Amino acid sequence: MGVAELKKAELYYHRSVQEDVAKTLQHSGSCQIIETSGTTEPAADVAERLTLCEEQHTHLRYLFRSIGGHYTDPVSSIDRMLGEKPVLSMTELAQAADKTDLKTLAASVRKMETQLNALRLEASQLKTNASILSLLRDFPYPLSVLGDGTKTLKGLFAVFPADALEAFRASVAAQLSAETELFISPGASGDREVRVVVLYLRTHEPQVLDLCAQSGASPVELPSGVRDVVSAELSAIAGRVAELERREADLQEDLKRTANEWMPTLQRLFDYWNILSGRYGALASSDATDRTFRTSFWVPTTALPHLQKRLEAISPNVALVVSDPGPEDEPPTLLKNHPLARPAEVLTNLYSPPPYGEVDPTPFVAPFFFIFFGMCLGDAGYALVMGAGIWMLFRKYRRIPFSVGNFLNLFAMGAVMTFIYGAITGSFFGDFIDVVFFMAPLRPLKNALFILDPMGKPMVVLGISLLLGVIHLMFGLAVAAWDAYRKGNIVDAVGDKACWILFVTGLILVGTSSALPFVFLPGLCMALVGGCIIFWYAGRGTKNIFLKIGSGLYALYGSTSYLGDILSYSRLLALGLGSAVIGSIINLLGTMAVGVPYIGWVLAGAIVIGGHVFGIAVNLLGAFVHSMRLQYVEFFSKFYSGGGSIFRPLTLSTQYVDVIDPESGFSS
Amino acid sequence: MELLGLFLALFGAAIAGGMSGIGSAIGIGIAGNSAAGVMTEDPNKFVQCLALQALPGTQGIYGLLIVFVVLNKVGLLAGTPAPLTWVQGLLIFAACTPVALVCWISAIAQGKTSAASIQMISKKPEAFATSMVLPAMVETYAVLSLLMSIIMLNYIAL
Repeated sequence: MGVAELKKAELYYHRSVQEDVAKTLQHSGSCQIIETSGTTEPAADVAERLTLCEEQHTHLRYLFRSIGGHYTDPVSSIDRMLGEKPVLSMTELAQAADKTDLKTLAASVRKMETQLNALRLEASQLKTNASILSLLRDFPYPLSVLGDGTKTLKGLFAVFPADALEAFRASVAAQLSAETELFISPGASGDREVRVVVLYLRTHEPQVLDLCAQSGASPVELPSGVRDVVSAELSAIAGRVAELERREADLQEDLKRTANEWMPTLQRLFDYWNILSGRYGALASSDATDRTFRTSFWVPTTALPHLQKRLEAISPNVALVVSDPGPEDEPPTLLKNHPLARPAEVLTNLYSPPPYGEVDPTPFVAPFFFIFFGMCLGDAGYALVMGAGIWMLFRKYRRIPFSVGNFLNLFAMGAVMTFIYGAITGSFFGDFIDVVFFMAPLRPLKNALFILDPMGKPMVVLGISLLLGVIHLMFGLAVAAWDAYRKGNIVDAVGDKACWILFVTGLILVGTSSALPFVFLPGLCMALVGGCIIFWYAGRGTKNIFLKIGSGLYALYGSTSYLGDILSYSRLLALGLGSAVIGSIINLLGTMAVGVPYIGWVLAGAIVIGGHVFGIAVNLLGAFVHSMRLQYVEFFSKFYSGGGSIFRPLTLSTQYVDVIDPESGFSS
Repeated sequence: MELLGLFLALFGAAIAGGMSGIGSAIGIGIAGNSAAGVMTEDPNKFVQCLALQALPGTQGIYGLLIVFVVLNKVGLLAGTPAPLTWVQGLLIFAACTPVALVCWISAIAQGKTSAASIQMISKKPEAFATSMVLPAMVETYAVLSLLMSIIMLNYIAL
């Protein structure tokens, strides 16, 4: 139970066996490498290999980014998360790495991408040109007149403010008479700007430019090289764009083909280089002299004998020195709990694992979490759906990774409690058994188990919820008291922890004495004794009598936070009631839908199934979050603050494949 | 006049359901804006973002729950509404107000906290569990208001 015992190991070995040693440490999957003090540089050959790994990773990352999007992975990410990966040996991965020249592949893909970008750039430029030219769609003359002009004639394409056009037209007519022609591009009547081509005699150029400037017109640059009439230029552009698009499609096809051909290999190589990078990283974190390496690591005591045997089998030039963690060390935390409590390790690690040697809250969290989860979700039907879903996942996926399996088990155990609570509160998909005629045979069974009615007697369930809260909080305080006692702080154990149990329990007994008169006296005594100790403990640090009284009273005032904490557990009633009522509303809507002509039953079925799927999703989220919150906020604040770091051993960490290596002597 | 009691009761249910729904819609909207921002950077965070975005949605459900409890209490679900005096109607109205007010405001506040939590997991994905606790702190008061309303409704004698 609790935190696994770790040893600090120092491994001395000759340079000639560095590969084998690092490989063995990695395959064992039970060594967390301790970084060196950083005084020595990594050995040159190790640094070289790390650089190689980094280079290959750079190529791989580039390839994933560039062709990954063209690849439809046959293995979905959910399948992969649940352990559905190809199984390969390190030798097979190494062969694949030997056969693949990532640098050349990346270069060829890069070339294709460059071509693709050039094509896209040209196409977009052409489209811009086409949009400019289309403004002159009805201009009847070749466009060369706007560029170079003829011997006597020249044209200017400009955008005029709509309200300045008339004035410009009048000035042109007055000053330049009939030798100037205006072509006004058709536009909507409300446009603020008008596009105009002014055709004029070369000799009039200065006057035309002047008038244009006075009217606030801005000349528009035509794309270079357009000389023909607009329609001919536009069709030429359209032809070129179509050609570019065809070539782009060809290139995309090439990229897709490359992706389909290479992505499976690239995924394997990604894992391969990842493994090697971890391995050489471990060597780089070791102290090195010319001939000798020293690698330090944390290892669980249970894994030590087998590891030692494998290491000694490598060569006589390997020496392992094992010691207990010293006071200056900060070992990581590896949780090790009974299989029933193990799923709740997820919750502890999500919060923050305990520092090494401290109390592991997991076994205390587990039972309460499952009970609270059950009460919040509170529906036997939903529990069956959850259970069936998890069972199917475990059946379909045979190699679910430990952490994912643990998470599924957390929900499976939650489902068990949900089923029990749902059965005793008579909730099966809400009131499904009561309202649907074909469920009638189940009614006697449901009624026999139905002993708690949150809907009819909410105060009873509220009482139970608050009582569970009191037990949970007092349990937290008891753990804190025990922990303080274990560390030899008996005064703290009593004054800061145990007396609160007395005080709060006493107050509650006094509070309930109107219903149970005989608990009044013991309650009062407990509250008085507890209160006095709290008062004394809070003021013991000071000699000033007023400060003593002040801090004592302040400590007693802290009891209001217990009131808040206990009332917080009323959510167990509210959320459980919520699931049941939402279920009933869905059933009600379903029964209403039955009356619809012709499609009534189909509609009812759709409403009931869809509604309950929604109900499960919403209530599952609520149940998980709120039972977690009761642990983190109310429970942990009594005795636990976390602050440790999770044990992260050097492993064959992979994303896309599972690596097995029977030769390593370690079971995977 | 004989329908005044029933009207008051239904009006209470309507504001409980309606206002909590408004609050949830605003809260989910706020969280959704934040989620969309995070997902532009990292579409893989969809599931986490969705879970956090959904948190302010429970208030609307609590409102619906109160509507159901009131309809059940006045006998509308059974098809024959009980004859309510206006005092009884007013009492039911009063019992609906905790959910109407607290769920409305708390859903908006929770939406803001969820939005902040979504930003938090964009930087620290490993803090997902703790990021869910923060919005759940706000929801406590919605849960308490639900309890108040349910208990009040439970004790109103018809």
